[in-house]
Amino acid sequence: MRQSKPLLAAFSWLVLAFLALPIVVVVIASFSPTGNMRVPLEPFSLSGYRAFLSDGKWWEAIAVSAALGACGALISTIVATLAALVNARYDYPGKALLEAGILAPLVFPHAALALALYGVALQIDLLGTVWGVFLAHLIITLPFAYRPISAAMHKFDRSMEEAAMSLGAAGPYVFRRVTVPVLRPGIVTALLFSFIISFDEATVTMFLKGPEFNTLPVLIFAEVQEGSALAVPAISTVLIALTFLFIWLVERTVGLQVFVDKD
Amino acid sequence: MQTRVQRFSLLLPVIVLVGVLAWGVASIVGLSLQDRAALLAGFFQRADYVDALLRTHALSIAATLLCIALGYPLACYIHQYQGNRNRLIVLVITPWLVSIVVRSFGWVVVLGPRGLLNSLLIAVGATDAPLRMMFNSTGIVVGLVHLFLPFMVLSVLAVLSQIDRAMGEAAASLGAGRLAAFMRVTLPLSMPGILSGAMLVYLSCMGSVVTPLLLGGLSEKMLGTQIYVEMFTAFDFPKSSSMAVLLVASSLAVVVPLLWYERRVSRRQSIAKV
Repeated sequence: MRQSKPLLAAFSWLVLAFLALPIVVVVIASFSPTGNMRVPLEPFSLSGYRAFLSDGKWWEAIAVSAALGACGALISTIVATLAALVNARYDYPGKALLEAGILAPLVFPHAALALALYGVALQIDLLGTVWGVFLAHLIITLPFAYRPISAAMHKFDRSMEEAAMSLGAAGPYVFRRVTVPVLRPGIVTALLFSFIISFDEATVTMFLKGPEFNTLPVLIFAEVQEGSALAVPAISTVLIALTFLFIWLVERTVGLQVFVDKD
Repeated sequence: MQTRVQRFSLLLPVIVLVGVLAWGVASIVGLSLQDRAALLAGFFQRADYVDALLRTHALSIAATLLCIALGYPLACYIHQYQGNRNRLIVLVITPWLVSIVVRSFGWVVVLGPRGLLNSLLIAVGATDAPLRMMFNSTGIVVGLVHLFLPFMVLSVLAVLSQIDRAMGEAAASLGAGRLAAFMRVTLPLSMPGILSGAMLVYLSCMGSVVTPLLLGGLSEKMLGTQIYVEMFTAFDFPKSSSMAVLLVASSLAVVVPLLWYERRVSRRQSIAKV
C-alpha cells in the first residue's frame, strides 16, 4: 500500500546524522592526543583518558553526581508514587493546580527556574550546599517520576484490588502483592528517568552549588569554558556510554515505547 | 476506606516540593517588583539588555521553526518506517539523553575555529582562513536545534501514532492524491503534536544558559547568558530576578496564544471523533 519515498528517507537520515554528529565527534576526539577532532585525523592516543583517570576531581564529581542521582531518584519516585496514588483515585479542590505545579519544571524556562530555586536556597540558608542542590534536583526530576507512574495508575483496574480484598487479603498485603506489581513498569521508568535527568543536570546546579563541590556536568562545563579540554572528551565518552547503558536498561525493563506514549 | 487526613498526608511531600517552587517563583517576582518596579524599568533603559531580550526571542523562534522543519519529516519517516522502528527511535532518544554540556561541547569541537568543519573546509580548499561558526548566533541556533529537536520528533510521533491509518486510506479511496491526503488529513490531525512540540522547544530555548554560553560566548548574549553574568560577576540577584521575570512574562506572551490554538484544534478533533 505504502510507496517508498526516497527523498523523505534521504532527508530523514541526514537529520539523524545531524543528531549523531556531535556525539560521534566527541568519542573520536577522546582518542586524540589533544582532545580535538580535525582533518587529517590525529594519531590514536589515550592521553585524554589518562588525564581523566589520574585527576581526583573527576572522581569526586562523579561520586557527587551519582549520589545525588540515586538518592534523588529514590525520593522523587516515592513522592511521585504517593501523589499519583491519591490523584488517580480522588478528586479534591486544587488537584489540577497541584498537578500543574508538579509538571511545571518541564516547561518553566530553566534560567528562571534556577533563579527561583536560588531564591529559596538563599532564604533557608542552603545556598552552596549539597542539600540545596538535592532539593532542586527533587523538584526538577519530580515530573519525570510522576508522569509514568500516573499513566500506570490510570490503566490500573481498581477491581483487582477489590477482588483481592474480597478474597480476604489485608490492606498492606494487597498493596504489596497487587498494587505495586501492577505499577512496577511505571515505577522503574520513574527511577531510571529521575536518575539520568539529575545526573545530567547542569543549568540549575550551576547557580546553586557554590565553590565547595562539583557535579560532573558542571565540572565539564567549567573545564570547557576555561579551555582546558584534554580530559573533557574522555569523560564525555564515559557519559555517552552510560547513556547507552541507560537506554538498554529501559528497553530490557519497560520497552522503548515509553518514549512515544502520550499520557 | 481512607480518611481525608490520610489522603492529605500522602500528598504532603509533593505539596512541600511544589510549595518550594511556588515560593521561589514568588520571591523572584517580589524582588523584581520592589522599589515600584524600578528594576524592570531600568532594564529597558539599557540598550544591551533590550538587545539580549530581542535576540533571545529571535533565536528561540528560529530554533523552533528549524526544529519543525527538520523534526516533522523525520517523525513522519519513523512513523511509516517498515523495518525495526525502535532502532530509529533510539537514534533520536540517545542524543536527547546525553547531557547538554557534553552535546554543546561536541558542537564546540565541530564548529570551533580550529575544529572539524573548519579543518575540513581548509583541507578541501574551500576556504583559506577559518570561518566563524561559533561565538555568534549561528553557533547558538545549531546548538539549540540539536538540543531540542528530539522533543519535537517525539511529540509529533506520539500524535501520528494515534491517527487512524484508515483515515489516509479513506482519503485515497475518495480520490485524494498523496499531497492532498497529507495536506487535508495528516497535517491537520498532527497539528496538536507540532504545537505542543513547538511550545516545549521554544520555552526550553528561552531558558537555556549552558549552550549560549559555550557556543555564543559573551558577545552574543541571550537573556540566560546575561542572567548568568549578572549573578556570577556582578552578584546582583535582584537584577537577575527582574530579567528572569521578564524572560518568563515575554515567553508567556508567545506561548499563551499557541496554547489557546492547540486547545481549540484538539477540542475540535475530539468532537469530530465522537
